[in-house]
Amino acid sequence: MSPTVQRATLAPHSDSETGAVAVLAVLAGNEAYGFPLSAVREILMPPPLTEVPRAPGHILGVVTVRGQIITLVDLPKLLHLEVEQEDPYGRVLLIDNGEELIGVAVDHVIQVYRMEPDQIEYASAMGAELSAFVVGVGRVPSAESSDGEDMLILIDPVSLLGE
Amino acid sequence: MSDPRDNVQQEFLAEAQELVEALSRDLLLLDEAHHRKDRIDPALINEIFRSVHTLKGIAGMFGYKHVGAVAHALEDLLDDLRLGRTSVGSQLLDVLFDSVERFQRLLALEDPESPEEEAGVQAYLAAIRSIGTETSEEEGDPLDKYAIEPAVLSVLTEYEEHRLRACIRAGLRLYRLRAAFDLTAIDDSIETLRDVASNDAEIITYLPSMEGGNDDTIELVVLIASPVPEEQLNAHFEGRYGTIEAIEERTHLPTLPPRLTSIPSAAIRMEPQAEEDPGQASLRSVANSVRVDIRKLDHLMNVVGELALIRSAVNRIVDRFKGESMHRRSLMDLDRIGRGFERQLSELRSGILDVRMVPLGQVFDKLARIVRQAAREHDKQVRLVVTGASTEIDKLIVEELTDPLMHLVRNAIDHGIESAEARTQVAKSPEGTVALNAYQKGSNVVIEVEDDGAGMNAHQLREAAVSRGLLSADVSHELTRQEMLNLVFMPGLSTSSEITGLSGRGVGMDVVKTNILRMGGMISIASEQGTGTKITVTLPITLAIIRALIVTVASRTFALPITAVREAIPYVPEDVRTIQGREVITLRGETLAICDLARLFGFRGSTSKAGRFVVVGSMGNRELGFVVDDLIGQEDVIIKALGKSLASVRGFAGATDLGDQKVALVLDAPTLFTEYFDGPDALRSLETRA
Repeated sequence: MSPTVQRATLAPHSDSETGAVAVLAVLAGNEAYGFPLSAVREILMPPPLTEVPRAPGHILGVVTVRGQIITLVDLPKLLHLEVEQEDPYGRVLLIDNGEELIGVAVDHVIQVYRMEPDQIEYASAMGAELSAFVVGVGRVPSAESSDGEDMLILIDPVSLLGE
Repeated sequence: MSDPRDNVQQEFLAEAQELVEALSRDLLLLDEAHHRKDRIDPALINEIFRSVHTLKGIAGMFGYKHVGAVAHALEDLLDDLRLGRTSVGSQLLDVLFDSVERFQRLLALEDPESPEEEAGVQAYLAAIRSIGTETSEEEGDPLDKYAIEPAVLSVLTEYEEHRLRACIRAGLRLYRLRAAFDLTAIDDSIETLRDVASNDAEIITYLPSMEGGNDDTIELVVLIASPVPEEQLNAHFEGRYGTIEAIEERTHLPTLPPRLTSIPSAAIRMEPQAEEDPGQASLRSVANSVRVDIRKLDHLMNVVGELALIRSAVNRIVDRFKGESMHRRSLMDLDRIGRGFERQLSELRSGILDVRMVPLGQVFDKLARIVRQAAREHDKQVRLVVTGASTEIDKLIVEELTDPLMHLVRNAIDHGIESAEARTQVAKSPEGTVALNAYQKGSNVVIEVEDDGAGMNAHQLREAAVSRGLLSADVSHELTRQEMLNLVFMPGLSTSSEITGLSGRGVGMDVVKTNILRMGGMISIASEQGTGTKITVTLPITLAIIRALIVTVASRTFALPITAVREAIPYVPEDVRTIQGREVITLRGETLAICDLARLFGFRGSTSKAGRFVVVGSMGNRELGFVVDDLIGQEDVIIKALGKSLASVRGFAGATDLGDQKVALVLDAPTLFTEYFDGPDALRSLETRA
């Protein structure tokens, strides 16, 4: 793999000794996603949305949070997943991608998991297109699921809309 | 920021910068006086001396050795000048002007003490020293001419004695004024006396007289030199200080003619507006001003914005209680207090805005130096005429404006103004003129850079664009003359002057345009071959807060900066015609291109609704009508930047919080204009026609 391709990673958010990472699990468009908790600044009720004409399809528009203008993204669309998100969405996560705060629209918040390194399956199998955003898949125990496990798509906030 | 050493460093740099700017301003006045062969005001030389002296002092304090050394050598030179041991000439002026560049260079350096700088500084010091002093070749002491009391002469300082001699030699008459001054206010009184005198007379010295005066007053003998006769001088002083009497001349010696100096090969002079007195202004600003980091003002402006939001939140609560009679009294009180609050808030807002404003003169002073320098380099004669230097504009814009204007002025001299010979051949005055005009137009500031040089060859521009592959030959033939001139702003064209042999503009007109657009401004060009070129830059007065027209398009709310709006008229679908693939209407006999924002932004289902409006936008010399659904009203809005993630989306200058968590996008009128008239779409529409 060429060294110039930056791969998604959760390394900055994980415990330096154990490699464990706290992940906020959310549901968006019937898919569960995980964000490293240390990048989540806030969880909000959706503020009124202003759409931005000419913006890329995965950008829902802008909202204002305490005077600051925040771009709101549609996560499944950003990942080119062919699912319709619930409308209206239930919550907005404010994610710090290192450069600005990005709003991510989600249906609802599930819970926070502490994830050990062996629970994470890295994304090399998922194709290069996704690898910029997606770290991999995390397996978490679930009572509802038939095989006793749920899968979280783990997102690297730094590459979220960053260049 | 928090490092105190850093802060101290910043303080020094800011103060040094201010001194160098004052120095530069004063040198231009000196150059102007020299060029006109006017009498050189000794107060001006003193002012220059003082700036350099202060600079030397603070440079020493902060360990800027090179700055200190240069200032020290200059101080000696200026002292010689002050005392008449040397005189103002073009070589001396060159050295003085070089000092401004030298100081600015040293102040801008990361490490001003680097050994690489050493050589340059030494060379410059040598240049200063090469200006020798002159031994005056006078026949007899001019002081002998007058019967001045030896008691007075013996207490004159070297400088006063020099001024006295110089004045007599220049043919001025000497006068004596005896006046009593109130001891408690003596400094002010003498200042006033100097002010009153300054036009017609020079005050050489004032000494306490031996007689007169009491506990509260002191009688001074004031020695005055003036070219005007006794009666006139007395009339001027209106007897405010007592009678002025002439000092008798001893014998009748012929006065020496004033020295003639050589005329420099290339020279400029600056003509400040009559109502302005830059000397006065600079003195005042040193005395009564504070320097403020612009970010602090930005922060204050944000606080004002937040206060306005809180205010509307309170209003909503008040509304909720309306109709409940038990609260009537309190509600009335609240309402009254609320209105008072709003008034104060808007006062505060305009106060902060006012602090951000600086006169364009700050930039123009720098440009005057560029003109002088460029004229010398090309051995051209250029006169700079400045009007409207007092026009005020946002400090941030001024900072951003220096580079683009420098480009424009340089281009005007490099490529616009012809050589003296060439000008004489076409019956123009050998001295070219570059005019800088600034004026306020509504909430915009217009700056014109105009030269009376060779003008631009539009066809050559077109050919250059075609040969560089920027434009297809077919399209190029459809262009109007104005469109050909506008090609100069295309990237890749204007940087190639030596390849294409254009008589036109030099480096980076596209960069200039980009910079002006980024500030929310517009740039336009007018040029006649043989007559000259005029570049007009239109800028908003401030970036922080703008007055906007709030409109709706397909139930979405947008803000349109009022600076770009000329008027709004009802939209009549039947009046719309299509010319060359573009929709137009006729407004007062003129054809106006219109652009349906709903269609431009790809909104569906709002067209052909009745009761829509055309907002007529105006930018530079262009007009474009934006079709909108409804007009909501005017509002002062604070523009906030869109996030980086939206940087690629064109057409919006930012967004603004309308309160109640409602966001409106602020339309970027300059970009929309450019997109409509010059963008790839505009060229493509020409292409499809061809």
